[in-house]
Amino acid sequence: MDNGFRILERLLRFTGMRHGILASNIANADTPGYKRRDVRFETELDNELPLKATNIAHISGSNPSSMPVIVTEEGSEWLDKNNVELDSEVAEMTENALLYQAGINMLSTKIRMFRNALRR
Amino acid sequence: MDTFKLLRVSASAMAAQRERMNVIASNMANVNTTRTEEGGPYKRRDVIFSTMPLEDNPGVLEGVQVEEVVKEDKPPRMVYDPGHPDADKDGFVAMPDINVIEEMVNMMTAFRAYESAVATFNTSKAMFMKTLELGKQ
Repeated sequence: MDNGFRILERLLRFTGMRHGILASNIANADTPGYKRRDVRFETELDNELPLKATNIAHISGSNPSSMPVIVTEEGSEWLDKNNVELDSEVAEMTENALLYQAGINMLSTKIRMFRNALRR
Repeated sequence: MDTFKLLRVSASAMAAQRERMNVIASNMANVNTTRTEEGGPYKRRDVIFSTMPLEDNPGVLEGVQVEEVVKEDKPPRMVYDPGHPDADKDGFVAMPDINVIEEMVNMMTAFRAYESAVATFNTSKAMFMKTLELGKQ
């Protein structure tokens, strides 16, 4: 019907999944040896966008490998071999949640537009 | 990813940090305890956390659990107090080697981790509520 739905669905799926990952990072902020994890989803959307740079509505869901990638990040560690930084995790979680809510808002607007169109 | 297991991630973190807080409280309360059931002065305790996978397949959600509560085997702090009933023949009493400042710092760390877990819980809840409103006028 409209590719916008598919893109928003993907956005919600990715941000929803990322929320789970960030929540796990926050939960394990004091677990010895735990390494922070993240999802790479911005890059995937970036990879797709240049193909349809002329018009945003041209984006197709033809790429089947839309599964987000979970990456374990190395980096400076605490003494207990844990590299979670609580403050930045909370900040990222808030940002991610706002992105999710923005996606929901856009989807709601889209649904409302279709509803309006059907009513006339 | 199971939607409601998401809340269990935060819940597990809250439970684990609360247990850690209990252990810290015991350490602080027993800073001068010279008699225990196993004999000798109180030994400082600490919690060891471990990850608790909440899903088996993609393994997105990982909660946390208290793996064990360990007793530190540090030598006691010898305090000269000849009037104390537990003093040895030289007048020294074996006191638990607990650094109250260190315990306070641990307590604040635990509290901040707990707060973050609560914030995560609330954010998850807000996201669910928002999702439920999807498509409403």
